[in-house]
Amino acid sequence: MSLDAILKDESTKNFRSLLKVVILLTIAGAAISSRLFSVIRFESIIHEFDPWFNFRATKYLVKNGFYGFWDWFDDRTWHPLGRVTGGTLYPGLMVTSGVIYHILRFLTFPVDIRNICVLLAPGFSGLTALATYLFTKEMKDEAAGLLAAAFIGIAPGYISRSVAGSYDNEAIAIFLLMFTFYLWIKALKLGSAYWGALCALFYFYMVAAWGGYVFITNMIPLHAFVLILMGRFSPRLYVSYTSWYALGTLGSMQIPFVGFLPIRSSEHMAALGVFGLLQIVAFVDYVRSQVPSKQFQKLLWVFLVVAFMVSSAALVGLTVSGTIAPWTGRFYSLWDTGYAKIHIPIIASVSEHQPTAWPAFFFDLSMLIWLFPAGIYMLFQNLADEHVFVIIYGIMASYFAGVMVRLMLTLTPVVCVAAAIALSNIFDNYLTLHRPDAEKVAAEIAAEEKKAAEEPKKTEKKEDANVLNAVKNPEIGIFSTTSKVTVVGMFAIYLFLFVLHCTWVTSNAYSSPSVVLASRLPDGSQHIIDDYREAYYWLRKNTPEDAKIMSWWDYGYQIGGMADRTTLVDNNTWNNTHIATVGKAMASREEVAYPILRQHDVDYVLVIFGGLLGYSGDDINKFLWMIRIAEGVWPDEIKERDFFTSRGEYRVDDGATDTMKNSLMYKMSFYNYHTMFPPGQAQDRVRGVKLPAVGPTLNILEEAFTSENWIVRIYKVKDLDKLGRDHASAVAFESGKKKRKSKLGKNKVRKLRVV
Amino acid sequence: MRFFGSLLSLLAITPFCSASATVDDKTLKFSQLLTSNAKSGVIQLNNELYNAITTAPRNYTAVVLLTALAPQFGCQLCKDFQPEYDLLAKSWQGQHKNGDGLFFSSLDFQNGRETFMKLGLNTAPILYLFPPTVGPDADPLHHTTPKQFDFQSNRIPAEAVAHWISNNGPHKPEIVRPFNYEKLFMTLGAIFAGALILLLSFKTLKPALYSRNLWSAISLILILLFTSGHMFNHIRSVPYVANNGRGGVSYVAGGFSNQFGLETQIVAVVYAVLAFCAIALSMKMPRVADPTRQKIAILLWNAILLCGFSFLMTLFRMKNGGYPFKLPPLW
Repeated sequence: MSLDAILKDESTKNFRSLLKVVILLTIAGAAISSRLFSVIRFESIIHEFDPWFNFRATKYLVKNGFYGFWDWFDDRTWHPLGRVTGGTLYPGLMVTSGVIYHILRFLTFPVDIRNICVLLAPGFSGLTALATYLFTKEMKDEAAGLLAAAFIGIAPGYISRSVAGSYDNEAIAIFLLMFTFYLWIKALKLGSAYWGALCALFYFYMVAAWGGYVFITNMIPLHAFVLILMGRFSPRLYVSYTSWYALGTLGSMQIPFVGFLPIRSSEHMAALGVFGLLQIVAFVDYVRSQVPSKQFQKLLWVFLVVAFMVSSAALVGLTVSGTIAPWTGRFYSLWDTGYAKIHIPIIASVSEHQPTAWPAFFFDLSMLIWLFPAGIYMLFQNLADEHVFVIIYGIMASYFAGVMVRLMLTLTPVVCVAAAIALSNIFDNYLTLHRPDAEKVAAEIAAEEKKAAEEPKKTEKKEDANVLNAVKNPEIGIFSTTSKVTVVGMFAIYLFLFVLHCTWVTSNAYSSPSVVLASRLPDGSQHIIDDYREAYYWLRKNTPEDAKIMSWWDYGYQIGGMADRTTLVDNNTWNNTHIATVGKAMASREEVAYPILRQHDVDYVLVIFGGLLGYSGDDINKFLWMIRIAEGVWPDEIKERDFFTSRGEYRVDDGATDTMKNSLMYKMSFYNYHTMFPPGQAQDRVRGVKLPAVGPTLNILEEAFTSENWIVRIYKVKDLDKLGRDHASAVAFESGKKKRKSKLGKNKVRKLRVV
Repeated sequence: MRFFGSLLSLLAITPFCSASATVDDKTLKFSQLLTSNAKSGVIQLNNELYNAITTAPRNYTAVVLLTALAPQFGCQLCKDFQPEYDLLAKSWQGQHKNGDGLFFSSLDFQNGRETFMKLGLNTAPILYLFPPTVGPDADPLHHTTPKQFDFQSNRIPAEAVAHWISNNGPHKPEIVRPFNYEKLFMTLGAIFAGALILLLSFKTLKPALYSRNLWSAISLILILLFTSGHMFNHIRSVPYVANNGRGGVSYVAGGFSNQFGLETQIVAVVYAVLAFCAIALSMKMPRVADPTRQKIAILLWNAILLCGFSFLMTLFRMKNGGYPFKLPPLW
């Protein structure tokens, strides 16, 4: 008892605040340091694909200033179309690093912009922990807040997108998401326009940073709507929602990429609709308080319902007539899960857009995944306005995470919050010195039973109706110290296991830069496979500065960022036809591909080939998507069926179809590969098959560069033949072969000339 | 296919020969056939008619569906496709009374056993398109061999077939889907009835509608469904259980990103048990008035929690072989 008194005493208040700060700082430290595996193991390097573009854009911003960045037209991507980059990106990330860079410069810290970019995500994860603490504090208390902060700090579901070097929009977006939600809850609790405006401000920042802002745009209205349905309309809700919506919408429209979408697209209509509904409800509420007549009140409710129906019908009508843009494919595919596969193969082709199998949930959240429903249940006990928010958020986010692996990211914060609430509830009961007096309790209960027997049963029943089953009886406490020790001990072990799990997952699964690959040699030492950078630097040093490189879109950003060369397509997949063109060139015969290459000024073609090393993420494995996307645009020329054998197998060995063997991709991948092996022994280690003894021939391309482990292969596109021959006969002539008589006959000689 | 081609060229020599008069006669004949059973828009073929409509010369485009609708063949795709095909033909005929150079026809196995045998077909449905052999749209490559619609890569809807036809000829069929009034009225009626029932029984339903227990149960069920991978099952339509190749049944799919229906249900139950343990420990136990009963119950819930978590980790190790952590008692 005395310890409790000390812990709650006024005199130790300062000490407790200090302790809180220290704990939060420690959590932030743990969050940051667990994200540094890749920097320690490899080096300070930007990871994966999209971050390379963000990095390039940040460099451009730092070099050319904000206005130069705003008006940036990038002619080094999407050749020959170019991209209005300044108007088609979310600038929040780049501007954030730019501001940090300039502040540090101002403070005379000579920091390289690359290091800021690499370390931005870990740094912001510390802030996310703080935001989650504040958010959870509003839900329960500070203890739960600290637990939630610790959870979000090391939960792999969030680490997966925020390790050092993962310089992507999500790096800062999760912090903004949680902080915006915190401000919303604060605004709602206080009914304050000030907090509502702050919420709008951070909403604006979120819009500037990540396309996932639509999640907030729909979560807050949904919360407001559910509150209205529950009959919980209050002036607090009115003030906070309207101030957030009005300011936030105006703010979001300042981002060029968003522009007028908030009033013209379906994703934003829920927010607008709830805004209108709130006005009507507020009006009705006001009139009702002024006019006492019961009939009049009924009339008003009818008016409310009719107005709601009419405005919904108007929204639907506007959508059908086309004034309001329908849901974009990416968001629509969340509801109609079969939609993307049929209509937008480019979205379906991305691995992070696949549905989530259960192991992924456990992998990313470990024990939190079962504490999560417990926490949600506990929120039903008090069910204040803010608890409704977490419940809705939990249900929606778990649906989205189930449909798309990528959205595990939005689920993780709410899981951490709910799990922290559950765990802190347990600790509240078991980690206390308070011990009920058994005799006293027995006496009290006896007295109560007596009372209940005397009173009529009606009153009791009425109370029960709105109480959770689990909390019907009065709370007493835990009697035995053994029970307390067991429970606390077990949960301490689970928490310990959780930390081990998170570290293991982070270290093994989420800390690979994917630009540099690591493998173990037989003696256990680490072997670094650095083919990508080798090849990109080769391009940078050995090709003219305006050379155009064709590759599959996955590598566009990396080529732009590391090799600094013009690309045809990149990871900003805004033009499906252009991507399909590249797919068609890869999937066609040489004679068909050559005009395409010439028309697009292609100088070099780059392919990824993993056959030698057994690297499964290579282009042959991605080839089917190239074919599918190309088939979507040219169904008559490219047919997926032709790449499968008659038994429906996708093969690259002797049994491969002719279409497969003659495709440019196949030829580029396996060109000269058989010379690595004794005759007839060529082996593809990814697909685990033996290749044909005679390798493919290439007429329109010549091999320019192949990296150490053959992962990257670069080919130079040949110029037109000086004597006007087609490339096949030119190659045949040079290799000393006698010109064969064409089997096809005179009028069927293939034309190669390009107009 | 080659066999089929030579067969047709053989046929081409017989009765309908290449004078243009006969071509027009043929068109007229099919136009009349079409208008005589104006309802459907599909010409029902038999062996003779099939030969007639497909042999060169043609100044029309013939779309021929070879199908087997009789129940004993159990051709699901045929049954699925038939209404779409009828819709397509009907839409076309609605705008083009006499066919206008594009005829939709179908030959059922029951009426055309001979033709199926001749073509060496053992699958159905097959959709052929015979382009004209004379006139501006003649396609010399396809005088005798028709183009075939690919049911594998295309989807069934009539729009896909219409798209295919417009890609392969001058005709651009437009689908006119009849508005389904029945469905509309049914939905409206259901909504109205639902609203009425709700309104009338609002007094009795109110406690249930405002019951926290109900809503918390709904929320938990939804969350458990989604976090145990139900959406994956739904999207990928995974099997419930699978044969393990040794005559038994395997409940757990191999591989990290793969699962069976039953497996996810097991996981959902485990999650539910674990969550309920946490709820019981934190909410129910402090409300037990008897010290001894409380102590035993706490130990019991603890044991269940431990076993459940241990089982979950074992299950996870089956999915991810390299996972190093274990929890007793299920090592």
